[in-house]
Amino acid sequence: MRSTPTHPEVVVAGLRKRYGTTLALDGMSFTVRPGLVTGFIGPNGAGKSTTMRVVLGLDAVDEGTALVGGTPYRDLRNPLSHVGSLLDASAPHPARSARDHLLWLAHSQGLGASRVDQVVERVGLTSAARRKAGGYSLGMRQRLGIAAALLGDPPIILLDEPFNGMDPEGIIWMRGFLRSLAEQGRAVLVSSHLMSEVQDTADHLVVVGRGKVVADAGVADLIAAASGNRVAVRTAARPEAMALLSHAGATVAASGRDTVTVSGLTADHVVTLLNRGAIPFSEVFAHRATLEEAYLELTRDAVEFRATSPEEVSR
Amino acid sequence: MTPRGWDGFPRLLHAEWTKFRTVRGWTLGVVTAALMVVLVAVLAGVSSDQRDRPVVPIGPDGGPVTDSFYFVHRPLTRDGSITVSVSALTSSIPTSPGNLRRDTVPWAKAGLIIKDGTRQGSPYAAIMVTGGHGVRMQDDYVNDTADPSGESPRWLRLDRSGNAVTGSTSTDGTRWNTVGTVHVEGLGSTVQGGLFVASPPSVQGMGTDVTVSTADFEDLDTRSGWHGRDWTGDQVGPESAGFAGYPVGTSGSVTESDGRFTVTGAGDIAPAVRYSLPTGGTLKDILTGTFAALIAVIVIGALFITTEYRGRLIHVTLAASPRRGRVLLAKAVVLGSVTAAAGVVGATIALPLGERLARANGVYIFPATTSTQLRIVLGTAALLATASILALAVGAVVRRSAGAVTAVVVALVLPHLLIANPFTPSGLSDWLARVTPAAAFSVQQTLVRYDQVSSVYTPYNGYYPLAPWAGYAVLAGYAVLGLAVAVVVLRRRDA
Amino acid sequence: MKRALHAEWTKTRTVAGPWWLLLGAVVLTIASSALVTSLATCHTAGCHTDTTRLSLTGVHLGQALIAILAVRFLSDEYDSGMIRTTLAAIPHRPTAFAAKAVTLTGVVAVAGSIAILGSLLAGRIILPGNGFTPAHGHPALSLADWPTLRATVGSILYLTLIALLSLGITAVLRDSATSTGAVLGLLYLFPVLAQVIDDPHWQRLLHQIGPMSAGLTIQATTDLHTLPLTPWAGLGVTAGWAAAALAAGGLLLHIRDA
Repeated sequence: MRSTPTHPEVVVAGLRKRYGTTLALDGMSFTVRPGLVTGFIGPNGAGKSTTMRVVLGLDAVDEGTALVGGTPYRDLRNPLSHVGSLLDASAPHPARSARDHLLWLAHSQGLGASRVDQVVERVGLTSAARRKAGGYSLGMRQRLGIAAALLGDPPIILLDEPFNGMDPEGIIWMRGFLRSLAEQGRAVLVSSHLMSEVQDTADHLVVVGRGKVVADAGVADLIAAASGNRVAVRTAARPEAMALLSHAGATVAASGRDTVTVSGLTADHVVTLLNRGAIPFSEVFAHRATLEEAYLELTRDAVEFRATSPEEVSR
Repeated sequence: MTPRGWDGFPRLLHAEWTKFRTVRGWTLGVVTAALMVVLVAVLAGVSSDQRDRPVVPIGPDGGPVTDSFYFVHRPLTRDGSITVSVSALTSSIPTSPGNLRRDTVPWAKAGLIIKDGTRQGSPYAAIMVTGGHGVRMQDDYVNDTADPSGESPRWLRLDRSGNAVTGSTSTDGTRWNTVGTVHVEGLGSTVQGGLFVASPPSVQGMGTDVTVSTADFEDLDTRSGWHGRDWTGDQVGPESAGFAGYPVGTSGSVTESDGRFTVTGAGDIAPAVRYSLPTGGTLKDILTGTFAALIAVIVIGALFITTEYRGRLIHVTLAASPRRGRVLLAKAVVLGSVTAAAGVVGATIALPLGERLARANGVYIFPATTSTQLRIVLGTAALLATASILALAVGAVVRRSAGAVTAVVVALVLPHLLIANPFTPSGLSDWLARVTPAAAFSVQQTLVRYDQVSSVYTPYNGYYPLAPWAGYAVLAGYAVLGLAVAVVVLRRRDA
Repeated sequence: MKRALHAEWTKTRTVAGPWWLLLGAVVLTIASSALVTSLATCHTAGCHTDTTRLSLTGVHLGQALIAILAVRFLSDEYDSGMIRTTLAAIPHRPTAFAAKAVTLTGVVAVAGSIAILGSLLAGRIILPGNGFTPAHGHPALSLADWPTLRATVGSILYLTLIALLSLGITAVLRDSATSTGAVLGLLYLFPVLAQVIDDPHWQRLLHQIGPMSAGLTIQATTDLHTLPLTPWAGLGVTAGWAAAALAAGGLLLHIRDA
């Protein structure tokens, strides 16, 4: 029954959606590729969940398309064998056991109970599978949601905030799990509002703010772009150094008790200027941003002011 | 890849069925629904004791009859004929105890009758003038033929030849028109024949008043087969279940002078109706537990969809099966099947059980043929299933279980309560029984309306204005409309 | 208690749902009363119609919306998990529950008064046109008439009691659909069951103990001797049901995990 799409990818193009006066999606476009874990990052309200619901055919858009393997989700025959998904807060009926919840889902795809037992074991829920879901912790509900996403052995997996409610052990398990899914050649999209949750797991990042993509790049590229050509100077005479460097046309910021961050000048130029001005310094080095900083940098604009276009960011 | 046809639908049904059966409360609710039908039937059966009440006379076809009238008779062996002219028929209705007012009683009857003895419910054939419906020929309680001549004759004749009885009328006693020939099964070789007067209760608003009628007969003539010379006057069935008696201060009588018989009588010779048999019960009464079952299946129907919204389970459901109309349809099929099964089981147990218990307590239950009983069982099942599906549809639209439950319960049960309320104007209760979903309770009715019996034919008494399945169709219409709206809304709306 | 009340009032005030339901209850009560009243006619003297009761028929329908309002007053908190927030803010559970009951009583009493007085006014306007004239023994409905005043005040109290009964049942069952089913079953099934029971003693008993059939005797203004119980005793039965439901609900709320 299962027909593998020729391109197991998710292609989201130009999504626009308005709720009353709020613009939820404003030209959201990106692609989720096979074999990679794609982090879908943005502050709360940036449009991540809405985008996922649109991809899953749950919400309609005013404009744009969302295709999975080249097909709108609503046209898929056995959707769970193409796309597995976990949406935030999607809870089973409290009186139904995890196993029964997966069982009806399996039946809707023509799958049997043995497949249910497999995925239950895969997510480590075997001991609790026959208990009523009403008594589950948030972490257990997340594992149940993951099991549901795996049920159809899909090449594409969409997970909305899968780390929510997980304990540290669960988070480590989840990271390894996501990696293994990508290594099996699946396209994995994981949303989060915290960069720290995905930075060690994702290969690729789609950063969104105010309903549109503000950055779409590999993790290494993003860090490089966020670092810019900034130079850090460690000096005992910080005010003098700042005055001198800004006089030379650089943008200068105090970034520590004895550190100055300089952009607009190369490291060589900085050293020359400092030497010429006879300002003592102990170290000049290229500034390397963390992913968290890159994220904050990107989304601060998106959240507080107007959205920054991807071109501006990569410059 | 692209969807073709409906070949995925069985899977959807399987999934929804698994969903349904794995919530224990819902399974329990359905079992409770069936149980309520049975329990109320038992309650109805054991709660009334009418063993000391008069026995209900049964007609030749097995149906209950009213067989109480004033009979002036002589025996007739084998063939013979009887002729008479009726010169006056007057009726009176009491205004207060002891005071009578002259009035028309449309189905007051005076004429000739040949009857297999004075036993109540025995076969007969009769020809008569009536208070407002001209000359009629009637036999065996349920059959009624109008005089086709359309004139207003004074002369009546009955001819018996074996089992065949022919009724004729004449305006002058010489030229005769045949009204009809009926074959009365079960007439013995010696029967009783003669004059009779009956005067059924008159419908006054939502109730009835007893009446009394008096007729003058002249030119009584009998040919061959008649025994003796003296006419005997008798009240047939004075202590009968369907006989309301005489107005205070009157009684049945016959007087003769110069070949002129003046006969006074009350009662009726006709099929019994619910109002004239207040002690009688119907199969619908036995199935009153349907109301309790309805509330249970309505709650389940609403929950079957609203719980999906509560936990946003609907996201999972629709991600697994993106074709939303079919998801709702699969839910409706599963829900309908389960609740219909509860209805079939409940009604199949409740009907014979309640009937037996009621009969053991002396309650007369209006009879129903096997096919009618089958219709009641299937109709009850359909009623429960459709109500539940309506709740599902409303729940899908409003996404609130309290609202969905209330809307459907109020639409089904409140009209019934208003119908049953003696304060409700009859126009309103008829209207309610036609246009509200409560019209569907007509699938449980067993009573038949007779044109030749004036009575209070209200839904409250078990006479619905719509035919059984037509009444059900009203509810089904609401459910189909509800589902259509729900499908449109579900498709248009973000999940 | 004062703070708890203030909190409940703010909760009620700040969502649209309760207001729509209250408006619906008022509109439906008056509209269905007017419909029933306009269908009744009286052509001769001595129609023996209890015109006050007839004008207040809409309570049968209006109470269903009041019941939804009362059920959702609590069940919404369970559905959304807000009950935990509520009980975290007001840890003394009897106080929290009482605040809910008092707030509910207040809003239902106000809406109920509008609905009942509106129905009565509709009756006063419609009835004379249908032959219910002083000449036929039916003077215009007036609150100066003690039985009519009793029916009016009693009907408002009845609606309030139905709201409290629903609140109590919801505190026991916690699920909105099941609670609604239970409330409507309790209201409507007694009179339906009474129909099948031929034994007059049992029939009378069912009318006496049913929360709706007993409570609505308060609307009667004529032929009081034929009723299974007196108007105030009937309303007392409904009050007993409401008190029992509130007590059971309050107790369970107190001892059960939220």
